[in-house]
Amino acid sequence: MHNHACSNIGNITSQKGEVAAREDIPFAFWGPTPMEARKAAVAKKKGLHDKRTTLKEAVATHIKDGINLGIGGFVNTRVPVAIIHEIIRHGARDLTLSFQSNSICVELLAGAMILDPDHVSIKRIELAWYGYEVIGIAPLFRYLMANGMIELDDYTNYGMSARFKAGAMGIPFIPTRDHGGSDMELLNRGKMIECPFSKENAYLVPACHPDVGIVHVPMADKYGNCRIFGALCTCPEIAQAATASIVTTEQIIPNENIRNYPNLTEIPYPVVDAVIEQPFGSTPGACYGYYWFDMPHFQEFRSVCDEFRKTGNKDKLKAYYDQHIFGVDDFDGFLAQKPYKLLKELRLQDGMQPIIKD
Amino acid sequence: MAEYGPFEMIAYTGSRVLEDETIVFVGTGLPIIAAMHAQLTHAPNLNMIFEAGSLAAILEQGMPLSVGDTRAFRKALFAKGLCAAFELTQRGYADYAFIGGAQIDMYGNINSHFQGGTYSRTGTRFPGSGGAGAMAANCEKTISIMALEKRRFVERLDFVTSIGFGDGSPDYRQKSGVMGAGPYRVITNQALFGFDHETRRMMLLEVLPGMSAADIQDLVGFELLISPDLKEMIPPSEADLRLLRETCDPEGYFLKRKVNKEIKDADQKVTDMAA
Repeated sequence: MHNHACSNIGNITSQKGEVAAREDIPFAFWGPTPMEARKAAVAKKKGLHDKRTTLKEAVATHIKDGINLGIGGFVNTRVPVAIIHEIIRHGARDLTLSFQSNSICVELLAGAMILDPDHVSIKRIELAWYGYEVIGIAPLFRYLMANGMIELDDYTNYGMSARFKAGAMGIPFIPTRDHGGSDMELLNRGKMIECPFSKENAYLVPACHPDVGIVHVPMADKYGNCRIFGALCTCPEIAQAATASIVTTEQIIPNENIRNYPNLTEIPYPVVDAVIEQPFGSTPGACYGYYWFDMPHFQEFRSVCDEFRKTGNKDKLKAYYDQHIFGVDDFDGFLAQKPYKLLKELRLQDGMQPIIKD
Repeated sequence: MAEYGPFEMIAYTGSRVLEDETIVFVGTGLPIIAAMHAQLTHAPNLNMIFEAGSLAAILEQGMPLSVGDTRAFRKALFAKGLCAAFELTQRGYADYAFIGGAQIDMYGNINSHFQGGTYSRTGTRFPGSGGAGAMAANCEKTISIMALEKRRFVERLDFVTSIGFGDGSPDYRQKSGVMGAGPYRVITNQALFGFDHETRRMMLLEVLPGMSAADIQDLVGFELLISPDLKEMIPPSEADLRLLRETCDPEGYFLKRKVNKEIKDADQKVTDMAA
């Protein structure tokens, strides 16, 4: 957005046309407004209730067309793949996706859209990064953007994290010291202001409140108190900013354990609406303390996506979804396709990180 | 004289540039290798931040494949999430940013969003800023790694992702509301660049042994300043290469790729480092 407090990005930008095209679009939250998010939090029952359920039920209850879906994890670390599989089976159209850096979860939704946009479709994405890191660019992202199929709102990893943080804090925006001087200052929905106290320019980013946050955690109790080891990523903020959160967990632990070490709780129970015990819930992604990346599986999926991008032929893409998502009833069915030796190896490759279950 | 590959030269040069008693904000691949080599040699008290939230992890289980993965968090001193890593940085606790991208201009601005087309309909859309935009804004000094090619060292970026010195005006960064001092070094396998204090323009500091300033200028799409004290890049010694190959990247994941195994692969790695 362009207003009287600004940097000199105008002198070096190549995107003046894109800026002009956005000039008269008034700001709107791409999901619940801060007031709506507040009301949703107030309306929840705050007692300790057994929130254990199945993914089928959780997705049927919470996932609707048009929602803002906040995706946890970072790239392919501790990403909610099991939840994404169920969302794809269930169907969801006109989704707004929000995350900082993601990979297979978004590509899986993109592939589902390409195969049947009447079943799953993405309308727009609020993001900082969407790719595969060491393996390369995300082919379906490249395809979607080459064909102008979705709208984007680009931030830095900190910008998107700060947006979720603002949502979690219950404030409508948060100042940052980045984006200014880049083309993101011109094209994203943040705004430069002059700080009323220091008189320096600062860049405000709007809060991001997903309708539904989806997060995978190593352990949680049945009430929804979650522990996370390794990278927290932006999961606590996403879960708290969202108006509802679905959590899958490697294992449910007794509530007594949570009470032993309350400092270890990263997501408190009121913020969580559904808890599903799903071992290997992030695979082919990694989960600290549990399993490493299944790199061959990433390469397999990426190559069928890239083949579609290059040739337009959907056969192999469809075969992947038929085998791994539509052809099984649930995520355990997907896991059952993997030889035990593979799962055992992925566990070993985690490297035995110390974690606390007690 | 030991034989070394182009990525080994980049990693070694990166190590040379880093100083002891600093915190380096690194992305996967060559930046981590450079920082590890520095720790093992002249900078034993250098520590790394990974943007997914770890400070001072001990990389004893192999090269992280992601800055968020298990190996990047093992035996860290402090492990939280992205907000914590970037808050520390915004506060001033990250001395160096190590970033990459698809294009760089003479003022050290970098593009990692897209090339060709427009923002809404891109020729090739890259992953996006990731951490790079924030790192360039708030680490005290930015070090970038780029492939030395004319189509990367350009007059004008398709998209400004990571802020350098902007349009070269003295108050560009201040008006942008960012905190760090800005671009410090650009590392390629054939040349090392810095930035002229007066004009903030990219300046050639060192060239690969056997190359001239003119050779490097041929690979750059804008006019370079040439340091009056132009030096040769120091090649890694046998001992350095042993460290790099046996300790830092024993799987050869990042160091072993040959130059002509499709420059594309290298492009990809460099682009993906903007995470």
